[in-house]
Amino acid sequence: MMESADSKFRLVKMDDTASEHINAPKYSYWAAVFKKFLSKKSTIVIMVIALTVIFLSVFDPIISGYDPVVHQNINNASMKFLHPSLKYLFGTNDLGDNLWNVVWMGARNSLGIAFMATAITTTLGVVVGAVWGYSKSMDKWMLEIYNIVANVPFTLVVFVLMYVMGRGIWQLIFAMSVTSWLNTAYFIRVQVLIIRDREYNLASRCLGTSTWNIVKNNILPYLISVIVTSVSRDVPSFISMEVFLAWLGIGVGEKTPSLGKTISGNRTFMTNTPYLFWIPVAVSAVITISLYVAGQSLADAADPRTHM
Amino acid sequence: MSENNNPILQASDIVVQFQVRSRMLTAIRNVSVDLYEDETLAIVGESGSGKSVFTKTFTGMLETNGSVPQGKVMFEGQNLLDIKDDAGWEKIRGRKIATIFQDPMTSLNPIIPIGRQITEVIEKHQGKSPSEAKKEAIELMNDVGIYNAEKRFDEYPFQYSGGMRQRIVIAIALACHPKILICDEPTTALDVTIQAQIIRLIKDLQKQYNYTIIFITHDLGVVANVADRVAVMYAGQIIEIGKVEEIFYDPKHPYTWGLLSSLPQLGIKGEPLYAIHGTPPSLYDKIKGDAFAPRNPYAMQIDFEEEPPMFKVTDTHYAKTWLLDPRAPKVVPPVQVSTLHERMKQVLTAEEEQMHE
Amino acid sequence: MSEMSRTVQTPSADGREVLLSVRDLAVTFYQGRKEFKAVSDVNFDVYKGETFALVGESGSGKTTIGRAIIRINPTSAGDVIFQGKKINQKLSKEDNRWVIRNIQMVFQDPAASLNERATVDYIVSEGLTNFHLYKDEEERKKKVVDALESVGLLQEHASRYPHEFSGGQRQRIGIARAMIMEPTLLIADEPISALDVSIRAQVLNLLNQFKAEKGLTQIFIAHDLSVVRYISDRIAVIHKGRIVELATTEELFRNCLHPYTQSLMSAIPLPDPQIEKEKKLKVYDEAMHDYTTDKPSFQEIKPGHFIWANSAEMEKYRSEIR
Repeated sequence: MMESADSKFRLVKMDDTASEHINAPKYSYWAAVFKKFLSKKSTIVIMVIALTVIFLSVFDPIISGYDPVVHQNINNASMKFLHPSLKYLFGTNDLGDNLWNVVWMGARNSLGIAFMATAITTTLGVVVGAVWGYSKSMDKWMLEIYNIVANVPFTLVVFVLMYVMGRGIWQLIFAMSVTSWLNTAYFIRVQVLIIRDREYNLASRCLGTSTWNIVKNNILPYLISVIVTSVSRDVPSFISMEVFLAWLGIGVGEKTPSLGKTISGNRTFMTNTPYLFWIPVAVSAVITISLYVAGQSLADAADPRTHM
Repeated sequence: MSENNNPILQASDIVVQFQVRSRMLTAIRNVSVDLYEDETLAIVGESGSGKSVFTKTFTGMLETNGSVPQGKVMFEGQNLLDIKDDAGWEKIRGRKIATIFQDPMTSLNPIIPIGRQITEVIEKHQGKSPSEAKKEAIELMNDVGIYNAEKRFDEYPFQYSGGMRQRIVIAIALACHPKILICDEPTTALDVTIQAQIIRLIKDLQKQYNYTIIFITHDLGVVANVADRVAVMYAGQIIEIGKVEEIFYDPKHPYTWGLLSSLPQLGIKGEPLYAIHGTPPSLYDKIKGDAFAPRNPYAMQIDFEEEPPMFKVTDTHYAKTWLLDPRAPKVVPPVQVSTLHERMKQVLTAEEEQMHE
Repeated sequence: MSEMSRTVQTPSADGREVLLSVRDLAVTFYQGRKEFKAVSDVNFDVYKGETFALVGESGSGKTTIGRAIIRINPTSAGDVIFQGKKINQKLSKEDNRWVIRNIQMVFQDPAASLNERATVDYIVSEGLTNFHLYKDEEERKKKVVDALESVGLLQEHASRYPHEFSGGQRQRIGIARAMIMEPTLLIADEPISALDVSIRAQVLNLLNQFKAEKGLTQIFIAHDLSVVRYISDRIAVIHKGRIVELATTEELFRNCLHPYTQSLMSAIPLPDPQIEKEKKLKVYDEAMHDYTTDKPSFQEIKPGHFIWANSAEMEKYRSEIR
C-alpha cells in the first residue's frame, strides 16, 4: 500500500453541489400513511375485525331475507329459545328468529345511524371550528355561546328533543348531531388556535394569500390527523349512545331493529337464556372497540410527525 | 487553574448507539478523552456532533434506546459504564457528577418552592436535618447571586426570571459539592447580558467550590471566555483537542478552520464569509474514511478511504486529520484563521476605551 | 439643541433616498383590560440599498416592529411610511398588492416557517400564484427554478417536502419564497439564530449577495451585536420597546454612549481567548436613570447618532464623546 500512498495525499477538488443532493426516495404523504398504518400486526388484525363486522352488517340482512316485521317462526315453539349451536351460531330468540340475523340487521341500522350522525357532526364541526379558530373576531362571541351551551347536559336535550319529535331514525340522528357538533367545533377550534400563528401561516399572510386559501392549504391538511381522531371517537360513541337511549326506551321507532333495541329488549332473558342478552352486548362491544382502535391507528398514521 | 497531571476522569474508546425504529444510529464513534482536576474543558460542536450524548454516558442519562457497546469511563477507580441500575448511579449522579441543562424553565419543578428544591438535594445526599439544609441552601442562594435569599426561599419558579432560574439550577447542582460539573449549553436560551453573568458565576464558583467543568456549547465566543482546553467534535468524534490558545491561534483541522473562519466576528464588511458547504453525514450509515471529507476543501484521496488517526501537534494538542501526516502537502489555513488575533484586536480597540473605563 | 423627535433624519442630508420612515410608532397589546406597551416612541429611517439592523434582547420589541412594518401586527399610534405612502392603515386592493410585492419577510424558525404538507414548488410560488405574476405555467416553473438556484438549491428540490431538508436548506427555501416576489425591502427576522454556526455564513453571504446584485434594502433583526457588525450599515439598539441608541455601525462600535448599549457590547463574547480573559463586564441597571422631572426624548447627539436621554444625560454624553 505504500507505493501509491503518496498519490493518495494529493488534494482533491470538492464538488459543491454534491452535498445539496437528497438521496432519500421521494416522499408521498398518503403512501407514508398507508405504510405506517399497516406496520403493526395488531392494527391489521383489528382492521380485519372491523371490516368483517361492517361486511356482515351490510350483507347479512340482504342474503338472509330476515323480515323484522313478519316473524316467520312466531307460532313454531320448537324454534324458540334455541341455544347457540353450529346451525344457529347465535341461537334463536323468543320470537323464533335467528339471533344472528337480528343482530346483524340491528347492527346495520346502528352503524348507519352512527355514521350518519358522525358525518353531519364532523362536517359542521370542522367547517365552523376552522373559521372559529382562525377568526379572532368570531372567537370572541362564539366562545360566549359555547360556554353557555356546553354546560347544558346533553342527555336532557336529547330526551326533550326525542319527546317532542317522537321516535325514529332521523329524529335520533338529528338529536345526536345537534348535541355533538358544537363539541367537535370546539375541539377543531383549539387545534386551529395552536397552528394559527405559526410562522408558516404568517408567511402566507405576508405573501397575500387569502384567508380561505390559508384555511384550505395550510390548516386543513394539518387537521387531517385530528379529524380522523375525532371521527374514530364519534362513531363508537354514537353507537353506545344509541344503546343507552334504547335502554331508556327512546331512540329508533317500534318497527326498526337496532342493537340497542335488541339488547334492551332481551334484558328480561338474562336469567334463563342469558345468551340472548350477552351476545348482542358482545357484538356491540366488538364493533365499538374495533372501530375505535382502527380509527386511532389511522389518526396516528396520518400525523406527519410519525413518518420521520 | 492548576494543571495536575492527574486525570480525575478517563474515557476510552467510547461507542454509543441508538436504536431508532428499525435502524441503528451510531452517535459516538470511538471517543477517548481525559479530564483533569480543576480545569474547564469545553466541548464544541454543532447539532448532531454528539457533544451532549457523550457526556450523558458519565451520568447514565442516555435515553432508553441508547447503549454503550464499547468503552470505559474510569472515575475514582470505578468504571462508570459497569453501573447497571439506578441505585448505582444514585451515588454518582448529582453527588459526584452534576449536570446543568439548557432550559431553566423545564429543569425546575414548577409546583415545588425554590428553597425546597435545593434542600431536598442536600437532605438526600448529605443526610442533613431540614434546618441545617435550609441554612446551607440560603448560603448557596447567596453564593449564586440571589438577593434577599431568605425571603425568596419560599417562592415558586414562575416568580423568577430566566437568568435567576438558571442560578437556582446551578445552586442545586452545587449543593452536594460535585467533583465534576457538566454544563450542557446552559446559556443558549438566555439573553446575551444574562449569559455573560451566568458564565462569570460558574467560573467564579469554580474557585470556591473546587470542581472541574465540562462546558458544552456551539458558541466559540463563549469557549474563548470559559475554557482552559477545548475538544472539537464532528460526526460523533473528537477531531481536535488542545489548550484554548492552541485551538484558537494554531488550529490544525480543516473543520476547526471552517468553524473559525465562518464567524461573522472575523468577517470583513463587504467580503463574503467563508462558509462550509453541505451538511454533516448521516450517522445511520457506516462512514468510510474521514467524516468531514465531502465538505473539506482540503480533502485528499486518502480522506475518502481511510479514517485518519490522532496526530500529535504538541503534548497538549492533537488533531485527527491526514493533513498532519508527513506525506501530506503543506497547507496554509485560511487568512481569517491565521490573522485571528490581529483582527480581534482591531475589533477590541474600537471598544477598548469603553470597557476599560 | 432642539429636541428632534418628530423629524429624525433629514432625508437629503447626504443625498440618499429614504425608502421607509417610521415615526413615533407604538404597538400596544391588550389582554382583556390589561395593556402591554410592546413598542413606543420608535423613530427611524431606512435608506435605499442599506442594511439596517434592529438589535435587542428577547422581549425588547424588535420582532414586533418588524411585523408592524409588514402589517402582520396592527399599530396603535404613529406612522409607517413606505416610499412616501403611509401603509399602517387600511389600504385599497391596489395598494395592498403594491406593499406585498415590495416588502417581504424571512422568518426565524426554519422548522415552523414552511408548510410541512406542501411541496417546495408550492411554497416558493405561493406569492406568485396569489397575484398571478406570470404568463403561463411554464414561466411560473422557470421562476421557481431560478429562485431556487439563486439561493444555492437545485431544480430537483422543487418536488420535495420541507422535512426532507436540513435547517440551512429550509431557511434558504424561505429566502427564495420572499425573493421571488422581487421586493425592494426585505425584513429578516433573526434569520440565522436557529441555524448551526457553520451554516450561518451561507445565509449571511446570500443576503449580502442580494444586496450587492439587486440593491436590496434590508432590515435585519437580531439579538447578536457581533453578527450585526458584519452585515449592517446602521444599527438601532432596542430596550423594552424603545430605541435607546441609533448610529452607523462604525460610530456605534467606536462611540456607544447609552449604558445599555455599553453593557450589550461588553457582554458579546469574542472568539479570542486572550482578549476574553482580560475583559471586564458592564452591567446595566435601569434604575440609574432618573426620569421623574427631566423627561427623556430621542435626540441627535452627533450627525447621524441618536440617543434616548434627558437633558442632564445629554450633557454627560457630550463630554464622553471622542
